[in-house]
Amino acid sequence: MINLTINGLAVSVEEGTTLLEAAQSLGFPIPTLCHMEGLTPYGACRLCIVQIGQDEKAKLVTSCTYPAQEGLEVRTASNRVLKARKMIIELLLASCPQSKTIQDIAAKYEVRQQRFKQEYEDCILCGLCVRMCEEQMMAKAIGFRGRGETRSVGTPFDVKSDVCRLCGGCMYVCPVCELRCTYNEPEKAICGACSNLSPPCVEKEPFDDMMCYMDPCVVCEIQK
Amino acid sequence: MKKLKSLDNFKLLQERLIANLDKMNPTLVITAGTCGQASGANDVIRVAKREIIARGMTAKIKLRITGCYGFCEAEPSILIEPYGAFYPKVNTDSTEKIINAVANKEVIGYLLYKDPSTGKSIEKMEDIPFFSKQLRTILSYNQKVDPIRVYNYLENGGYAALANVLEKGDPNRVIQDVIASGIRGRGGAGFPTGIKWELLKNQKNGTAKYIVCNADEGDPGAYMDRSVLEGNPHSIIEGMIICAFGTGATNGVIYVRNEYPLAIKHLIIALRQAYDLGFVGENILGTDFSFDLKLVRGAGAFVCGEETALMKSIEGKMGEPRQRPPFPIEKGIWGHPTCINNVETLANIPVIIGKGAENYIKVGVPGNTGTKIFSLVGKIRNTGLVEVPLGTKLKEVIYDIGGGSASKSRIKAVQTGGPSGGCIPAHMFDIPIDYDSLRKVGSIMGSGGMIVMDENTCMVDIARYYMKFLKEESCGKCYTCRKGTQRMYELLDDITKGIATLEHIDLLVELAEVVRDTTMCGLGQTASNPVLSTIKYFREEYIEHITNKRCPAGVCRELVGAPCQAACPVGTEAWRYVAHIANGDYEKAYLAIREYNPFPSICARVCDHKCEERCKLGQTGTDPVAIRALKRFVTDNVDPSVYKPKRSGEKKSDRVAIIGSGPAGLTAAHNLSLIGYQATVFEADHQPGGMLNSCIPEYRLPQNILKKEIEAIFDENVTLKCDTELGKDITIESLFADGYKAVFIGIGAQKGKRLHLDGESSKGVYPSIEFLKAYSQDGEEWAKGRVGVIGGGNSAFDAARTALRQKDVKSVVLLYRRTREEMPAFSEEIEAAIEEGILVETLVTPTKIIRENGNIKGLQCVRNSLGEVDNSGRRSPVLIPGSEYSIELDTLIIAISEQPDTNSINPEGEPEIKLSRDGTLDAEKDTLCCSREGVFAGGDVITGPNTVIDAIAAGKRASVMIDRYLRGEELHQPEQRRTPSVYIPPCTLTEEESEGVCRAEAAKLEVEQRLGSFVEVEKTLVEKEAVNEARRCLRCDLEFTQPKSEEVELVTDKETSI
Repeated sequence: MINLTINGLAVSVEEGTTLLEAAQSLGFPIPTLCHMEGLTPYGACRLCIVQIGQDEKAKLVTSCTYPAQEGLEVRTASNRVLKARKMIIELLLASCPQSKTIQDIAAKYEVRQQRFKQEYEDCILCGLCVRMCEEQMMAKAIGFRGRGETRSVGTPFDVKSDVCRLCGGCMYVCPVCELRCTYNEPEKAICGACSNLSPPCVEKEPFDDMMCYMDPCVVCEIQK
Repeated sequence: MKKLKSLDNFKLLQERLIANLDKMNPTLVITAGTCGQASGANDVIRVAKREIIARGMTAKIKLRITGCYGFCEAEPSILIEPYGAFYPKVNTDSTEKIINAVANKEVIGYLLYKDPSTGKSIEKMEDIPFFSKQLRTILSYNQKVDPIRVYNYLENGGYAALANVLEKGDPNRVIQDVIASGIRGRGGAGFPTGIKWELLKNQKNGTAKYIVCNADEGDPGAYMDRSVLEGNPHSIIEGMIICAFGTGATNGVIYVRNEYPLAIKHLIIALRQAYDLGFVGENILGTDFSFDLKLVRGAGAFVCGEETALMKSIEGKMGEPRQRPPFPIEKGIWGHPTCINNVETLANIPVIIGKGAENYIKVGVPGNTGTKIFSLVGKIRNTGLVEVPLGTKLKEVIYDIGGGSASKSRIKAVQTGGPSGGCIPAHMFDIPIDYDSLRKVGSIMGSGGMIVMDENTCMVDIARYYMKFLKEESCGKCYTCRKGTQRMYELLDDITKGIATLEHIDLLVELAEVVRDTTMCGLGQTASNPVLSTIKYFREEYIEHITNKRCPAGVCRELVGAPCQAACPVGTEAWRYVAHIANGDYEKAYLAIREYNPFPSICARVCDHKCEERCKLGQTGTDPVAIRALKRFVTDNVDPSVYKPKRSGEKKSDRVAIIGSGPAGLTAAHNLSLIGYQATVFEADHQPGGMLNSCIPEYRLPQNILKKEIEAIFDENVTLKCDTELGKDITIESLFADGYKAVFIGIGAQKGKRLHLDGESSKGVYPSIEFLKAYSQDGEEWAKGRVGVIGGGNSAFDAARTALRQKDVKSVVLLYRRTREEMPAFSEEIEAAIEEGILVETLVTPTKIIRENGNIKGLQCVRNSLGEVDNSGRRSPVLIPGSEYSIELDTLIIAISEQPDTNSINPEGEPEIKLSRDGTLDAEKDTLCCSREGVFAGGDVITGPNTVIDAIAAGKRASVMIDRYLRGEELHQPEQRRTPSVYIPPCTLTEEESEGVCRAEAAKLEVEQRLGSFVEVEKTLVEKEAVNEARRCLRCDLEFTQPKSEEVELVTDKETSI
């Protein structure tokens, strides 16, 4: 067993436990986008960062990939963590404003604006689909191609894959292009997430139906 | 090659090789690394071989082809061993001559390296400052060893360190030695190598242990690893074997990037030789130690230099980093413990074992031992690889070894550590180069790249460049690195385009800090460094881009437009009139000049042509377009009356007082008149013109030309009042009382600074400004006999040349305390003065004026040497004790600088107008407002002695500000970008015409005719010369303009054409 403290609470966990698992077992909320039970930790979205170490040696690491170590001091919500996390959320919002998952996280962390050029991408390259395909569906039909800004997910050479069974697992796990705001009953539709995203998503015509199935989607903002 | 079966066999072989060394006959050492081959080393080698064979001298002259040993600037070069003569930049012709000379045991003086500051030839390599100030432990092997001949390496003691450790047979001892040597990883992070090795040794898991040589050197501008790999591959192999012996590693991998073909070639050869001789493989040198070593080529991803990505790449997977822990040392390639070392670290290992750790530790400073190779590139005179002990000061590397700036512009910063390093500004060059000091100032050691930047480098553009590199090279796995670099690039791009706001900077800093904090690997964690360090040290450049829409270095395309126009203080469209001249349309050319500048003929003669400094042609290997000479051609050939001033707005009743009729005052008056104001110009002298009139000698600016242009200023709105002195006849308050609504002060800087030497009040000692004035206004010739002039600026040369033309003058000597390179005067002025027979003495400081009966008799001086580089980037003169000497003089002219005479501005009993600390008038830089409302000032009175064109620019700005002030508008208004907007069809030289065409130089009056005469020295270009010169222009403006007519339709898509 390994002993460590998380936010001042002592906890002992089995060897091989990640900081994320340890923190969640104590009930500390840590947002994640690229983590899913049953898939290998990947550390792509960086949302689950926590602070380890003290004073000058303190640093931020992704809790989903960092193994618990003896005597480690972990803080899941220090100022530094929150500041960085908000910036990451802002970056996510700037790229994928239409994702309900991201909207929810933004709402939770009170990120109400983003200051970059608005993009409308449908992938954050979290790699859930790639790992799902490889590890759970045993298909390896899709993978990453390219690097840097041209990195993308797809089949080799964009040719329809022979090994793909059209299981839909990749779509199911996707935090960005999943079916958005699917509730059609008005009281459940008030997610509150739209309110922090006023102009970009409603202004642009091509996206007005992507916000939620409510029309007009600013309704939720008015009701708040 | 026979496999060496025992240590004794090896020793015998090495002893035999060393004993057989030929120490008598000379060896020609030709560098042929990638850099040498690119500059023509292969041809040189071919010629050298042919010549030696043809002369039948193969036994007498030996040839050694080596890798690069550092002085890339001088390649291809030939070094003659053992004598040490060094011939830089040889070609096939000079190679023949050199071989001839070697055969006759001679040295060819004119082919030797010349010291750029003194111009003297330096015979021996070790005396060249570039080499003499280095400590070349690793690089000297590159010079001694032919990389494809293993015997060459053995002759120089190669593999002796390996034999040594094998003989002792104690792996612990190896590790203890490396720990004791204190060497830290040369890849950048600086982790102690010995500790790393010990960790690997103590690893228990796995059946195999790997060591990896990281030769994936991808930083732009860094190539020391390449040179070591190319020049001495055996040293790395030896280092790896020693490492394997110490740590118990079974497998070794050299991971080298595929873009280094020569390094790969040499490594393959060296590896085969090492296997053949039994240094690698089973039972090395007969011992029971075995080690397998192979080469893996990287496929060209920058991120694969990161250790976890590198291991994935070796395994054949996509090169992307993973989270540590587990560290490679625990779980590396295929899950085996892996130790990754940099090329340079491994190259140091044989040195440590060979010299002993106790000797190695003597080099460098505690905590940072040994030498480090840096690749010194960018705007530096001596480009190349530099090896110095760690802890050497940055400025020693840049100024002493690197030789300072490659051009006249000053060095501004140095970027260390490649794209993930930071920029260190020039005023911090005092810091020692070691891992910790560099980190403290926001940069990193990195692999050792040093990119030197001067004033022509835009820091925002640099940050943008690196961010572009990083956003393309980020693996893309972690979101903050991929998106963060992309967003930082976007923000920087906006700034360079002038469409950013000040909030961009804050957002950049915020984002950069988060990216640094939250990314997985070293690439992302250091990606913010270029942004953060440039913002930290060069924030004003960012602000200049954002608020004034100006790129001070003249780099950012969208802000600069045509560089010549951007460089001109008044914004003259130089490209436009040059284009008109090329088309033979001289009147239009005149109009283009006159539109921006009321004194075209004057500027055509005395302007310091900032446009030419920035000309793109001058930065691409040839000389810039002779813009000033072209302006002279136009103004001399076109009647000024073609220009009809455009008067805008109705006549206004407000009156403005202009004090001083120099270029600033007259320009302000002229422009105010064009807008409709009544301007009165007050002048203390008998005639208008200020410094133009009194201080620029007639041989540079003829009086009739000057008078004509000044007279043209006075129209129905401008009145002149001469002999009216500020402080005596008028005061600022009296002008306001007289009903003037605004006052412009443009009285210049007319008080000569003193030397503060004894005897300065002697008869025969004059400030240059009074000396020149006395001659130009009253025709008095003050200079007599032997004349001395102190100073190195234009006014010193004007005084010297004027004195030379006076009747009773025998000789003129000019004394300057620094060297000619640092002289602020125009180089053409200096050359002309020397031509005329003026003796220019540099590195001299006057110490005492020798007097007799109140008259000057002579001057006592002391010689200087150039000392350390000061914060301005220039070497400050240091007195050489005991070098005092004296010269006899009858006249001494002091021309060290001028300052404004501000006493007249603030008479008693009037509200004071603020002065700045250096004695100039304090006016706001952008609005030219003084501390009293309604008073504006511009020109030398606020800047100190400056150029004519800057004064004209100040006058123009003042007129705009006064207009805004009188109309009650806000003075601060956003600046407009000045990009070319008028399309002029290009007219370039045909291919035949352009052959051999070089910059046109205006003819000059013969020297004999100049003496004793004040006839203008410089002549006008003839038409053919001018047109050809104008056609050399690259026409940077065409990037921004488009033809108006139907040709527009030919350009199909505007988006894609840009």
